[in-house]
Amino acid sequence: MLRRSRRTLQVAATTALLVTAATACNAAAKDDAGSASAGSDTSFTLVTPDAVGQNEFLKLAVSGIKSAAKQHNGSQKVYESTDTASQQQNVQAAVDAKPDVIVLVGFEFADIVAQQAEKNPKQQFLIVDACTTKTFKNVSCAVFREHEGVFLAGAEAGLLSKSGKVGAVDVLDTPQFRRYSDPFAAGAKKVAPKTTTDTRFVGGQSPFDDSARAKEQADTLLAKGYDQLMAAAAAGNYGVFEATKAKGAYAYGVDVNQCTAAPGTVVDNVIKRTDVAVEKGIESVLDGKAGTTVSYGLKEGGISLTGLEDGVATSKCVIADHADVLAKVKELRDQIVSGKLTVDDPAAG
Amino acid sequence: MFFDSDLLMSALRALTPILLAALGGAICERAGVFNIGLEGMMLMGCFTAVTTSWFTGSPWLGVLAAALAAAAYSLILAVGTVTLRGDAVVLGVAMNLLAVGLTSFLLRTIFGVQGTFDDPSLAGLPLIGGLSPLAYLSWAAVAVAAVMLSRHVWGLRLRGVGEAPDAAATLGVSPAQYKYAAVLLSGVLCGLAGAQLALGNVTLFTENMTAGRGWIAVVAVMLGRALPLGVLLAALLFGLAEAAGFRLQGLGLPQQATDAAPYVVTLGALFLTTARRRRRVRPSSTGATS
Repeated sequence: MLRRSRRTLQVAATTALLVTAATACNAAAKDDAGSASAGSDTSFTLVTPDAVGQNEFLKLAVSGIKSAAKQHNGSQKVYESTDTASQQQNVQAAVDAKPDVIVLVGFEFADIVAQQAEKNPKQQFLIVDACTTKTFKNVSCAVFREHEGVFLAGAEAGLLSKSGKVGAVDVLDTPQFRRYSDPFAAGAKKVAPKTTTDTRFVGGQSPFDDSARAKEQADTLLAKGYDQLMAAAAAGNYGVFEATKAKGAYAYGVDVNQCTAAPGTVVDNVIKRTDVAVEKGIESVLDGKAGTTVSYGLKEGGISLTGLEDGVATSKCVIADHADVLAKVKELRDQIVSGKLTVDDPAAG
Repeated sequence: MFFDSDLLMSALRALTPILLAALGGAICERAGVFNIGLEGMMLMGCFTAVTTSWFTGSPWLGVLAAALAAAAYSLILAVGTVTLRGDAVVLGVAMNLLAVGLTSFLLRTIFGVQGTFDDPSLAGLPLIGGLSPLAYLSWAAVAVAAVMLSRHVWGLRLRGVGEAPDAAATLGVSPAQYKYAAVLLSGVLCGLAGAQLALGNVTLFTENMTAGRGWIAVVAVMLGRALPLGVLLAALLFGLAEAAGFRLQGLGLPQQATDAAPYVVTLGALFLTTARRRRRVRPSSTGATS
């Protein structure tokens, strides 16, 4: 009996080792020291939640910190994380180096920064696309008004829909995620008041990864004749694209240019210009406005559509062939920027 | 109309991966190995199927490789529980965790991407009558498993090993051999389930894309009392509940409520089956003691 339980222990230990080994492979943090001009006064450090690689969202953040360094005649460093363990390590390493501003991208850092900000009251932090629950004098936040961009994408959908039915596949039914579906319907109705709209939520045990479920949700909308779908289902977006492509319908992506995933199917994308948020965020911290939360929308250039940016022609987006639609959307954008038109924020209040 | 062919097809698409994995779980259960590593084996199948299909251009080779890879992966459970007499629950949980880490790591190493690998030229399985060929295979597998377990000598010995390993050993049947075979077979079936999910339901790989389907399969094994037909019915119930849940959202029910559909169905089914079983058992047990 004793022998048997020892064996059980051995197996458990081996398995535990195996698991740690597999995660340890991911934990090897890749510190990528950027071009630093030695001897300069100002220095910035960017910590990313994942490897930058082909991640457009993070690539923009990197270019944001580079141009901030150039502008302020300083130096910059980028610490790329690969998992939760290396996120912690990288933030610690950044704090130890004492740069003027530490920039962190993503909700993953909210808790880590809250701890570090309390321990290091003189260090300035800037979180992009998230914020700490408690406010700190040395933590500034840059958040996005995604709903403004989604509204414009909805307007495109309203103008392009042949069936007059425009829908969205969203991750979860919460106010924050409704920013990706409610304004889409509102935008479509703004340009085509008779449009029918509907939203499906992926839900389930892991709503952010379940592309098969997202595809089924898209299919239920497509079966009812919806021909323009906002895809706001995280990794499930690829499932939505597959479904729309099979039915010859159209989809809209988020965060980065997703047109390349399904050329001819994806019309446009609501993109977050992390570079703008990083640059302007650093500027406001250096101006002594630390400890505030600033939101970036169409007006600040923090939110945009692929169709409204340079390089539409090579973006592989369907919208590139619809100059008339883009002209109308630009009008709406100008109205929102000037304040003549306001987009309801489902997450407000 | 609420019940129409779209709903049925949606339910059948949801059914196939769960059914294949649950059949594997049922065979293990009958051999006396409690397999909760279905989720991890399935995820290994998903990844291998996509990788092989991508490099060879053949989804069929992808299916084959997925079955083999998941079977190889299931060896952890076989060696751990049968040879080393480890705890199947600990091993199963470890296998599920390892599979998520390993596939994410390999995704970065092989494809250099994070999160999702998706390419328009990745070849998926063809559809026959709106369903993947693996769907038909899964139904055939139910029939074969049912006949094998109730009629064939191999299946009877497998059950004997599961119910009374010492008695089976005295009759010259090697429990270890049968348990190994059962676990490997569950690996093959989970590999097919993974291939169905990654090359049938969708044509891509996403980290953790099994999204709890392996756990639903574990519940289907229990609900179906590890009988092939029972497992089929249980899995079909989940498939229908999921498809109906999608429809209910269209009727204005909140997502949080429709998400609960499969679990409400499980509780309801458990309640009904145990109530019936109790009623049947009670008279005979009192008869035996008196």
